[in-house]
Amino acid sequence: MTGPAIAPAYAGVDELRRVARELLESGEVRVIIGWEDARRGARPVFITDPAEADKLIFDTRCVHNLVTYLDPRRDHVSELGRIGLVVKGCDAKAVAGLLRESQLSRDHVVLIGMRCGGVLEEGELPEPLALTPENVAPRCYGCDNREPTLTDHLLGEPQPEPPRPVMTIDERVAALDDLPLEERWAFWTEQFSKCVRCYACRQVCPLCICERCIVEKTQPLWIESAAHPRGNFSWNLTRAIHLAGRCVDCGECERFCPVGIPLSLLNRKLQQIVHDRYGYTASDDPENAAPIGDYRLDDQQEFIK
Amino acid sequence: MSRIGVFVCHCGENIGRTVDCAAVAEALKDHPGVAHSEDYKYMCSDPGQALVKKAIEEHNLTGVVVAACSPHMHEKTFRRACDQAGLNKFMCEMANIREHCSWIHEDREDATAKAIDIGRTIIEKVKHNRPLEVIKIPVTKRAMVIGGGIAGIQAALDIADGGHEVVLVEKEASIGGHMSQLSETFPTLDCSQCILTPRMVEAYQHPNIKLHTWSEIEKVDGYIGNFEVTVRKKARSVDLDLCNGCGDCWAVCPSKRIPSEFDAGLSNRTAIYVPFPQAVPNQPVLDRENCTLFKGRAKGLKKDACGKCKDACLKNAIDYDTEDEFVVEEVGAIVVATGYKLYDVGREQPEGLKGYGEYGYGEDPDIIDGLQFERIASASGPTGGEILRPSDGKEPKTVVFVHCVGSRDIDKGMAYCSKICCMYNAKHAMLYKHKVHDGRAVAFYMDIRANGKGYDEFSRRAIEEDHAEYVRGRVSRIFRDGDKLKVWGFDTLNDEQVIIDADMVVLATAIRPNDGVKELAQKLSCSVDVDGFINEAHPKLRPVETNTAGVFLAGACQAPRDIPDAVAMASATGAKVLSLFSTDELEREPAVAVVDERTCIGCMRCALVCPYGAIEQREICTVDGQVCGHTAYVNPGVCQGCGTCQAVCLSNSIDLQTFTDEQVYSEINALCMWE
Repeated sequence: MTGPAIAPAYAGVDELRRVARELLESGEVRVIIGWEDARRGARPVFITDPAEADKLIFDTRCVHNLVTYLDPRRDHVSELGRIGLVVKGCDAKAVAGLLRESQLSRDHVVLIGMRCGGVLEEGELPEPLALTPENVAPRCYGCDNREPTLTDHLLGEPQPEPPRPVMTIDERVAALDDLPLEERWAFWTEQFSKCVRCYACRQVCPLCICERCIVEKTQPLWIESAAHPRGNFSWNLTRAIHLAGRCVDCGECERFCPVGIPLSLLNRKLQQIVHDRYGYTASDDPENAAPIGDYRLDDQQEFIK
Repeated sequence: MSRIGVFVCHCGENIGRTVDCAAVAEALKDHPGVAHSEDYKYMCSDPGQALVKKAIEEHNLTGVVVAACSPHMHEKTFRRACDQAGLNKFMCEMANIREHCSWIHEDREDATAKAIDIGRTIIEKVKHNRPLEVIKIPVTKRAMVIGGGIAGIQAALDIADGGHEVVLVEKEASIGGHMSQLSETFPTLDCSQCILTPRMVEAYQHPNIKLHTWSEIEKVDGYIGNFEVTVRKKARSVDLDLCNGCGDCWAVCPSKRIPSEFDAGLSNRTAIYVPFPQAVPNQPVLDRENCTLFKGRAKGLKKDACGKCKDACLKNAIDYDTEDEFVVEEVGAIVVATGYKLYDVGREQPEGLKGYGEYGYGEDPDIIDGLQFERIASASGPTGGEILRPSDGKEPKTVVFVHCVGSRDIDKGMAYCSKICCMYNAKHAMLYKHKVHDGRAVAFYMDIRANGKGYDEFSRRAIEEDHAEYVRGRVSRIFRDGDKLKVWGFDTLNDEQVIIDADMVVLATAIRPNDGVKELAQKLSCSVDVDGFINEAHPKLRPVETNTAGVFLAGACQAPRDIPDAVAMASATGAKVLSLFSTDELEREPAVAVVDERTCIGCMRCALVCPYGAIEQREICTVDGQVCGHTAYVNPGVCQGCGTCQAVCLSNSIDLQTFTDEQVYSEINALCMWE
């Protein structure tokens, strides 16, 4: 049996290493955050020594959204000094989200954008596989930001469109929507009952930026903290709703979930609603106002009776 | 541990009839944290209040719950009593067992049980009340009036006469507004200019009034008592300190064919001009859009194409290089009096309206609107007050007046009644008949709405004494037929078609809010209604206030208004402003949002949704003064306590004082726990 083919080498990697080295050498940045090749596959790497710039890689295994390291809560990162961050298109949208919400000064970060042709669903592989309908991250299909614009350097050659996955997220959402209410309820009850309340989804999310998450507020205790179905429902729905109109669909929450809750279905459903009602899709333009604070005369408001 | 006193009021029979008040007091006596509970016939009376005060002293109460009427009714009363007894007044809350219980229920047993539940929720709330202080805000005792029509002038004069400085801002070159264009005024037929111009001069010369003409509002910052308004003084090109208004400049201006705004397009003016001879200030403005020199500059000509006015000016008052200036005015209150414009009912409609193409307005010069007729009838108008039609200057022998063009017409215009047209049409018919004795005035109307003092008598006079012919019905079409205008209409009272050969037609077009009102309202954080008029705070009880504290409304910016209405509103705003200025500090209930700086991450979503502009970003510092981040800050002077910010705060870092999460949560819990 033959496995999927190895992806052809990404042409921009040399350029990436050169830019990273120059940024570090000139002192323009103190640290480069990118990906490296490790024993178990691609993983994030922090590089402060220009000599180590050659560690950097970029290929289909670079699934991680490194913008989570810009989270103002992680002051051990910001204390390193000005950051050079390697981003894909989806990651750049998260940077825009942080800028929009006054969480980041644009001067604090140099963005190195990579032209992206999609990534694998899982990055822990010894070799970068070529993308197939079976192994591609479903969210990459139909991506509207494969060449990020919110960057200081845009590297790599134009990449081909990612393949259509066996089942797209939209198709999965539609299939769920078609179920009768009781079955949908049963589906989510089963999914949420798995939740162990480890909050990995929150920790990895580049836009879950609160100092004190609402789930940790105890007076009053709005969300029960025990891993009990009632509290689990409250938590998972609150998390999703807090990201409505903010989620950039980087897929990290679902990838990190140790019990495999399909959070991307919830996220996508909310993206669809926000798009249908307010014509808003997350972009990497920080000037593109998020719908929560953007009042328009033609906003649908039939809920006001 | 809380020591709460519960006071159950019978409100005479109002509560006592349906609720067993003694049972309520008895049941709540055992509620955890209650130290004292009693009932009384009239708790708000002097002996009732004495009971509260006595209990506070005797039992050393930490909180008070008065189970009685709505807080709207007597919260103030009981809070004052608590204050007098030495208990922080915000530790006192009302449990509404009248409007929410006894008045809406019949079954005594059920109502009593519900009254106990209501009492429990409020007791639980009071356990989480904190002593608060009223918010005090200093007041800048200086007002701004936006719009220099009759409403703005009246408001400015009233406030100025009250001893406070007023900044009057007018976007045109002269104050006076639409009233200065009118010929005579209903219902007395006194000359509009004769009653208005003395007011204009008075405002101009008043030591307390500072006038900015040819100016617009650029930006409004601040809040009640403390507004900072940036005024854009548009480049006038004429130095008002030097100019003596002699007129040498406009005499030599070569651009003489610009339609005069003041004469509603019926005469021409020059590019440097005063809008009308009685203008205040009586000094010209240079209309750069129509000036030969500026048109040349816009085209990129190296040499100025004209310069005659500057050469002619002996005072050296003309400067072509002046630019827009920005002046920041600090005021404590703002009166908006931006007035109206007429619905331009021609075929071309930029705003998505339908217009009345079938009436031929804008296509045939003898089809005019009400303001144009005012100019024709005015002694200062283009015809010197003689009724002559615009096309050929002949005296029209038949004039048709059409009511409700665009008003009360959901399909093609506005749903509302423009209020003044019935009266001014009657006036127009009279003025016409007084000047053209053998003429025929025909008015097509829907209803005659003459509901003011002397109004119905006036419109009856037009019909009975001046023999204006009133036809009840609509006009379907107006078109030129040789020398005549054919007016096709329908007389619904006689059920027959009417065709009139007219020499001139006057359309009573709808009143609409002035251009730019929506933008201005936005700057002031006021809302506009579906028709674009600025919303008042309450249609009956707060008609001249807006939802932004310290911003008031006068005249037709709020709805169609006639002169008496506009002046009455203006004086009402004057009274509001003067009462605001009667104290040095404003007191406000502390029902405002507060930010928990420990958990706020400064994402500023709250600022985006705040309808009052009360939230700003504030830097936070470490103990040694280093800026280490920022959080949101709610200005308690501006916050109205609506709670929108609280709803969008992801980390629940904003709480509404007097309605904190904890308080509301406890209320809900109380309902669940003591079932």
